[in-house]
Amino acid sequence: MTQVLLPYLWTALATSAFAVRFGLRKSELLPAAVGAAGGWFVFELASGALLARLATGSSWNSPTLGYFVAALFIGLYAEIVAAVLKKPATIWIVTAIFPLVPGGGMYFTMLNSVRGDLWESVRSGFETLSAAGAIASGLAVSSALSRLLSLRSITRRLADRSSGLGR
Amino acid sequence: MRIPVGGRGQSRPPEAEDFLLLAADAARLVLESGGETYRAEETAQSIATGLGAVDVECFATPTGIVLSFSGPDGRVRSIVRRVSTRSLNLDRITRTEELVREVVAGTLEWDEAAATLGDIESSPEVPLLPSLAAAAAGTGFFTLFFGGAWNDALVAAFSGLILSRMTHYLARRRISDFFTNLAGGALIAAVALSAKGMGLAANADLAILGAAMYLVPGVAITNAIRDTIAGDLVAGVARAADAFMSAAAIAIGAGSALGVWGLFGGRI
Repeated sequence: MTQVLLPYLWTALATSAFAVRFGLRKSELLPAAVGAAGGWFVFELASGALLARLATGSSWNSPTLGYFVAALFIGLYAEIVAAVLKKPATIWIVTAIFPLVPGGGMYFTMLNSVRGDLWESVRSGFETLSAAGAIASGLAVSSALSRLLSLRSITRRLADRSSGLGR
Repeated sequence: MRIPVGGRGQSRPPEAEDFLLLAADAARLVLESGGETYRAEETAQSIATGLGAVDVECFATPTGIVLSFSGPDGRVRSIVRRVSTRSLNLDRITRTEELVREVVAGTLEWDEAAATLGDIESSPEVPLLPSLAAAAAGTGFFTLFFGGAWNDALVAAFSGLILSRMTHYLARRRISDFFTNLAGGALIAAVALSAKGMGLAANADLAILGAAMYLVPGVAITNAIRDTIAGDLVAGVARAADAFMSAAAIAIGAGSALGVWGLFGGRI
């Protein structure tokens, strides 16, 4: 059980650490950590990695779909948090996608090219581009959706109503 | 620091040039803090419009901004701002967004807005101790996340500590990002391989990858594609080139260290 849950703890901690480094304030940290862990959970669920890890015998395996759905989740989540806390959504988008973004893939692409392993370089380069493209599409769709549904005004109205109860 | 406009306490009537400077400097600050291209353009447009300019057009790329508008007197003015440094600072993005909101709402006069913008720009970076702790914790926890053991994570955290100071020092000496990334890549590989040589860490590759998360341009390549989807084609291509150069520099640095290690008979 701990083996299943530990990665989520590590993502949350690593993301909040880097978020501090990039200027997030204390009150903004928790949503970033939750978004990162949640985004990773959605990625593992949609890509089939979670089922594979739980050894259920499922053979569904599509990292690209996982990246897309996870980015969609993070984008919508960040818009909701942004509406409640009245801050720009981008600060939670940028931090919560830290575990997803293919920085390591970029590094391996170039490292294999430096080492002269061109086939491996092309392979990880294409993987990286697919991942970055999927994440960017997910974020673009989530921002269009949140505008269509006017997610911001709905959340703000709900938040105002709940905070205005005592008045 | 390029906001000599007015300043605190001075109450001469604003001229159209003042709006121009304020809007352009706010947009420059957004780009320098790692904000998206559309955010920089919207920042300049909202501030200029909020202060009474008409026919505002802004064109931003990661390396510069062009802004033009007509003032109240109907004459067209424009300004160019070069953006030479880009480092992620979410606090500045948040505070600039608040400033824009207040200017648009009309609760902030232009000289107060200029003073606030100056405050945001001169605000200190993250203090030393938290930034060191954050770099060490971030690199360490990412190593654990990638499946490393606790001693691999400690090695990565040690690299993260040095990296944090090294990038800060090199940025202050105005050394190019390319060299910084190259030196950083060499450093993390050298630390991880020495630790492996001394028998301190079993998975040198995971320690390198965890520490490299501090440098790698994952967010940059994602933002490049986001810009392209949003229609900012020039900005998207420029960001992609930037991301590829950073990744290449890190890999050349790390690859050199791995090469030296291999030459002396080490195993990876």
